[in-house]
Amino acid sequence: MNALDLKLMRDLWRMRGQALAIALVLAAATATFVLSMGVHRSLTETRDAYYARNHFADVFASMTRAPRAIIDRIAAVPGVSRAEGTIQQYATLDFPDRNVPVRALINSVDEFGRDRLNQVTLREGSMPRPGEAEEIVIDEAFANANELGPGDTIEALIYGTRQQLRIVGVGLAPNYIYALAPGELVPDNNRFGIFWMGEKALEAATDRTEAINHLSLTLDAGASEADVIRRVDTILAPYGGSGAFGREDHFSNAFLENELMQLDAMTQVIPPVFLLVSTFLVYIVLSRMIRTERTQIGLVKAFGYSNWSVGWHYLKFALVIAVLATALGSAAGIWMGRAMTGLYAEYYRFPFLYFRISPAVFLGAAALSVGAASLGALGGMQSAVRLTPAVAMSPPPPPVYRAGFVERFGQAAGFSAIGHMIVRHIARWPGRSAITVLGVALSMALLFATMQFLDSTRTMLDSYFFRAQRQDMSVSFIEARNKDVLFELSQIPGVLRVEPTRAVAVKISHGNKTERSAIESAMTGSQLSARIDSDGSEIDLPSAGLMLSRQLADKLDVRAGDKVSVEMLGGRRTKTMMPVARIVDEFIGDRAYAADTTLETIARDAAPVGAALLRIDPAARDRILTELKDMPIVLGVTERDASMQKFEEVINDNIFTMLFFYISFASAIAVGVVYNSARILFSERVHELATLRVLGYHRSEVGVVLLGELALLVVLSVPFGCFIGYWMAQLMTAMFSSDLFRLPFAPSRASYGWSAVVVLIAAMLTALVVARRVLGLDMVRVLKARE
Amino acid sequence: MTEHAAPSPGSGPERAAFRGQDLRKIYQTGETEVHALRGVDLHIPEGEILVLLGPSGSGKSTLLNIIGALDRPTSGTLYYHDTELTALDDTELTRFRRANVGFIFQFYNLIPSLTAEENVRLVTDIADHPMEPAAALELVGLAERRDHYPAQLSGGEQQRVAVARAIAKQPGVLLCDEPTGALDSTTGVRVLETLGQANRELGTTVVIITHNAGIAAMAHRVFHFLDGQIARTVVNENPIDPAEISW
Repeated sequence: MNALDLKLMRDLWRMRGQALAIALVLAAATATFVLSMGVHRSLTETRDAYYARNHFADVFASMTRAPRAIIDRIAAVPGVSRAEGTIQQYATLDFPDRNVPVRALINSVDEFGRDRLNQVTLREGSMPRPGEAEEIVIDEAFANANELGPGDTIEALIYGTRQQLRIVGVGLAPNYIYALAPGELVPDNNRFGIFWMGEKALEAATDRTEAINHLSLTLDAGASEADVIRRVDTILAPYGGSGAFGREDHFSNAFLENELMQLDAMTQVIPPVFLLVSTFLVYIVLSRMIRTERTQIGLVKAFGYSNWSVGWHYLKFALVIAVLATALGSAAGIWMGRAMTGLYAEYYRFPFLYFRISPAVFLGAAALSVGAASLGALGGMQSAVRLTPAVAMSPPPPPVYRAGFVERFGQAAGFSAIGHMIVRHIARWPGRSAITVLGVALSMALLFATMQFLDSTRTMLDSYFFRAQRQDMSVSFIEARNKDVLFELSQIPGVLRVEPTRAVAVKISHGNKTERSAIESAMTGSQLSARIDSDGSEIDLPSAGLMLSRQLADKLDVRAGDKVSVEMLGGRRTKTMMPVARIVDEFIGDRAYAADTTLETIARDAAPVGAALLRIDPAARDRILTELKDMPIVLGVTERDASMQKFEEVINDNIFTMLFFYISFASAIAVGVVYNSARILFSERVHELATLRVLGYHRSEVGVVLLGELALLVVLSVPFGCFIGYWMAQLMTAMFSSDLFRLPFAPSRASYGWSAVVVLIAAMLTALVVARRVLGLDMVRVLKARE
Repeated sequence: MTEHAAPSPGSGPERAAFRGQDLRKIYQTGETEVHALRGVDLHIPEGEILVLLGPSGSGKSTLLNIIGALDRPTSGTLYYHDTELTALDDTELTRFRRANVGFIFQFYNLIPSLTAEENVRLVTDIADHPMEPAAALELVGLAERRDHYPAQLSGGEQQRVAVARAIAKQPGVLLCDEPTGALDSTTGVRVLETLGQANRELGTTVVIITHNAGIAAMAHRVFHFLDGQIARTVVNENPIDPAEISW
């Protein structure tokens, strides 16, 4: 090892605190990068492998009822490589010890194992056998949540008939990675399951002999999905086809895509913040180091070392930090990645989900760290390279201070001499002061942006559950009913109010754009439902025409006043031109609304009740649930409070993990920035601080000079932090929004407050650690030394 | 000049500013012990100018630091008037410095971010009975340069600001470590004249460390240091004016 490298090692050891503080920030960049890239990759690879192995279909279509023979016609469509038909049927389950409604979606499977598409992976037991009508396979999440397994039996109400089912297997399928009961926002494995049943058995149970209501297709390579969908829709139209759709509109797949998109957004926003701060930190630390080592640089150059070798020496300082940071960050990233993958595994039903990470991710992380550190180092070391030996070896000129505008302000404010010292020092090093302010502000911004997610989700929750949904229960039916059912429900003791509601699947077209959606209606003057605008105001349904959600309107490129073509899917396929009366900003889904009378006119059917909303006497809840359970027409009951509670649980689970990570990250930045600023400040002022001690200033008073400047900068960074945080949160809200839901930007004052408090505490503790050095000031040295 | 044996503390006819007995200072540097002071007894009368002479490492600065409450002796006792400095804790020592001691260093130790007047204010802000900063600068002849920053002043001017800063609190004692060490003779003499003036007009006790034996001529008393002890004390009955010092 040559002498310069020895110096490097000792410098690193001497400045280990500062080097470590920078490495911490840089490690946070690496960690978030490894985390989001790793989780993204793990999810993508797992999904792709699972889709390929279990032959997840490319196109899906549902219809009311079609003869099995239709499959051959569909298979003959150019571009279709394979078509399979199944029956999908909701059923209510009877758990004797529970009166809460439990539902299952039963899928038919070929008893002879001839299915290729959306294959079930068995975790336990076997598939239903031919001739054994009661045998079913249940999905793993439902099995675990309800402690069910092969050998157990369940009583189910399928298509109006009570039936005893025997579990023979537990499995998973790629079309149900994420599964929700209709009307729910988050998975509830306790109350909703996916079942697979023999084809013949389900045909018999649902009165669909040699008939199907669902199709899955795979396409030939290069086939046009849009063409196939058009042809399939034409074929299925007479059978109540509700419109074929590709993977992008497949609920489970879309949800997963949404998650991947959020991970991408995270990769794009978070690590750059840390990289930026790290670059600045390396810059200020190396600049300071080079100023103090001025004479040594001159000496080394006088000995004949080239500018390049001097520059390289300082660059290596940064590189060592970068390598350390990559190692630290990768380890942290893997740890956090495992934790996050564990969370995903709870909500996504994969047969396997490991946090796997490729060498490329580490290389990418290392490249980013090295790049950021080098950039900072290059900025800092320019002065070292430019110094000529003669100039370097003479002492530097004393720092020149001038009275600027701050000065005049100070005079006006009647500053003490100490006050002047603080303010002038900040003004003397404007770049470095700005970096400190920016660094702390970024740390606060990051925390704020994270906390805003909490606010955002709560606002969404509040809007959706508290303001839009005012019913206690919503009751869905096996199929749409006429209005008699409302009377029937109102007769149940304890039911205080019944209102009909309905959602009809439609295709809405405007110009050359077409979207599948649903038109929801509620009765005029509804007390149990409302539509809430994103600013919280209640919107009445238009007396005529449609109201579109902003997301749907944007996709269709529609403005209020435009006319759109509405095609009913399923049932009578009417096509109507309708005016768009208004656009509503909503958080969840892309839907259309119409008054019940409007919808009845275009649907032209006699069964306008899709579901009923109930307000009940809470004391009668159990009895009402029992009554509903016994009504054969009832498919399911959703209780608003239970859904809300489940949603809160999911959010709290995720938010807690997320908050923990981000408070650590934000603190890492604050600590890194404040520690380095404080150390530099201390090293620059050690002479002055000791002089003050000699002059009779107490330690606490001397501490004020050091801490005062930091405190001023940190306090100054709070408004900047709010500003950057506001902007960053808006950016992230926009990036995280998708077709499934749009996050509202709804920061609360508490989030501003808490992010400021966390950062201020981190900054204060860090500054105090450095301020302890004031205790060890060697006054006597000052008597002798020239700075 | 007459030579005396070292007087016993407190025994002099004049009121003593400092009285010290058997002051010892041992520095632990790694494995070795350095005996910086080896039992010093001293008596510094109030209102005198005292010069400490001696080779490097003979203990002058160590003694100055101990008198100035910047450092403590390893053993021995030291009184300033009736206050036993050796019995004070750190906070009390700081309070003592703040109230009684003015320091002047070889390298001025001005705060570069403060103007001449503000450097003086640094001390008057915390002193009990300070003069006006402007008056202190007037005393050293720098009234017109009060708004200049250290970087805008010459070395001599900077040192005079340091003197103004030291005398502004009207301290009982001025401690000067090589105050002219970095100055040319003309400037050096100006600084010494200011010290003489403070001694005459304010009655301040002045202790000066110097390598320049010529300066001893302006002192009332000279301690010659050798190997951590006061080898001899010289009392000067007729101190000369600093202007007449041969450099």
